[in-house]
Amino acid sequence: MNFLNYLASNAQQIIFLTQAHFLVVLIAVGVGSLISVVLGLAVSTGEPDPPRYSVDWFAAGVREGGLVFTAALLTVPSLALFALFLPITGLGVTTAIIVLIIYTLYTVLRNTVAGLTTVDRAVLESARGLGYGRMRRLLTIQLPLAWPVILNGIRVTTLISISIAVVGAVVQGPGLGILLLNGISRIGASNSFYQVLAGTLLCLVVAAVFEIFFAIVQRLTIPRGIRV
Amino acid sequence: MSDTADQTTSVPEPGAGQTDTIVLEGVEKIYPGSTQPAVSQLDMRIPKGEIVMLIGPSGCGKTTTLKMINRLIEPTAGRILLNDKDVTHVNGDLLRREIGYVIQQGGLFPHFSIADNIGVVPKMLGWDKQRIRERADELLHLVGLEPSTFRDRYPRQLSGGQQQRVGVARALAADPPVMLMDEPFGAIDPITRDRLQDEFLEIQRTVGKTIAFVTHDLQEAVKLGDKIAVFATGKLEQYDEPETILTRPANDFVSDFVGGGAAVRRLSLLDLARLELHPIETDERAVGNQNGTPVAEVDGSGKPVSWRHLPGAEASGTPLVTVPLSGTVYDAVDVMLDGSASLVAVVDEEGRAAGVLHWNDLVGGLRTRKGDA
Repeated sequence: MNFLNYLASNAQQIIFLTQAHFLVVLIAVGVGSLISVVLGLAVSTGEPDPPRYSVDWFAAGVREGGLVFTAALLTVPSLALFALFLPITGLGVTTAIIVLIIYTLYTVLRNTVAGLTTVDRAVLESARGLGYGRMRRLLTIQLPLAWPVILNGIRVTTLISISIAVVGAVVQGPGLGILLLNGISRIGASNSFYQVLAGTLLCLVVAAVFEIFFAIVQRLTIPRGIRV
Repeated sequence: MSDTADQTTSVPEPGAGQTDTIVLEGVEKIYPGSTQPAVSQLDMRIPKGEIVMLIGPSGCGKTTTLKMINRLIEPTAGRILLNDKDVTHVNGDLLRREIGYVIQQGGLFPHFSIADNIGVVPKMLGWDKQRIRERADELLHLVGLEPSTFRDRYPRQLSGGQQQRVGVARALAADPPVMLMDEPFGAIDPITRDRLQDEFLEIQRTVGKTIAFVTHDLQEAVKLGDKIAVFATGKLEQYDEPETILTRPANDFVSDFVGGGAAVRRLSLLDLARLELHPIETDERAVGNQNGTPVAEVDGSGKPVSWRHLPGAEASGTPLVTVPLSGTVYDAVDVMLDGSASLVAVVDEEGRAAGVLHWNDLVGGLRTRKGDA
């Protein structure tokens, strides 16, 4: 039995696992990015060096603390984090998605903060001088200008999530990890190598689909005046 | 178009019962964590329709003062009145929509088209789309940019000078009575800056706004200002007309700040049109005339092209240089130095000779025309 035969005879399972992998990553990145972007916006400060004990001063504290915390979470080995959530959320899709969400936080939050703070001071100052209130400035000036940077963060985190989702198979999370884990545990047995190969290649396919998706999103959401 | 009518009547005649549009009373700013006030006990009145230039060394409080007028910086003490209304405690965002604001790099929104950039304040004020679009086109015209070419472009597709024009147009969009300008031409190359300054004065002649303008360039202050306010470490040292600042500095600080070049700078305040010029002869029959009047050769349209006769000099050795009557003595000196000529022909709008200015007149005293103080 060669690889193509293997694919053909297991097409249904493989397609199902690929779809599941795609969806798990999509949901986790979607929710994780939403949390991170909203958090990033909430803790963005109008001033680079806010006065002590002001709202901005506290926001800056929350921001730095949040970055350190999410960075620490990112360094926890994925295998360990899946295991740690087992007693709380049990086996299955919930644990897989929660852990994936946790891994998306740092990259997107970091890029959101970076994007918002690197908006040209002159642009923000003129917006304020023309009578833009804080919210209007944040949502109609800062966010659109920071968007390319934020979107890049989401893109990077998506690629990372595709490979972390594979590990989710240890807690019976859905996706191509099942194929890979199965193949590795039976290595040497018939078709075990084809399972690993198929799992790997289809991860690349999932990544390619996301890349195409993001290229379209980029095209549609980045304002024309700042497109490079 | 009643607002246009208002503008034309709003340009005040000198001394004719003018009102003060911007009034600062005992205004003070102490930044948190600092004991030294950035601006202390400032009293200043800016009359309607005038350009007041705020100038001084860095850290003198000129920018802080400007930003307190639209409350980008909240004053620690004192009152600010705009058109007799106390605005010290009104909503800052709403206040700023009624005041034009232009900053150094233009500060255009890069993700908005040029028309949308100009329309931001009218949009916040709830104008309808059609009116905003017409206003943007009108203002693009005013600042010398062709609407059909520029309205749909984005800021990055424009040069620095063009962006700054759009910045001025954006500040004028909702027709605010007051404009604040924070070194608007500071980051522009000298040649473009000169042109923008000229155009700015031209625009001001039609719109007649009350303008506070921060600059660090004395040349710019003298050229644009109806009045100049010289600041030093949070205090207003002198507030006067440019000519007075240059000729009669109030104290050592101002005279140091104005520096040794004051006499030269003052030349740019002397309009050629106000001077008694020497006569010039362009008539062909005047060739043999030896009464001391220079004779110029003219082309078909009456423009002088070369000297036919100069008293006491070899006519062929001196190039004929011209300066427009609308210029200043400064321009005339510039032309003479540039062309190594000891005299310059002053020409009117059609390019016809109106008179002559000699190099010796500069040191011998310039005579202003009678009945024209």
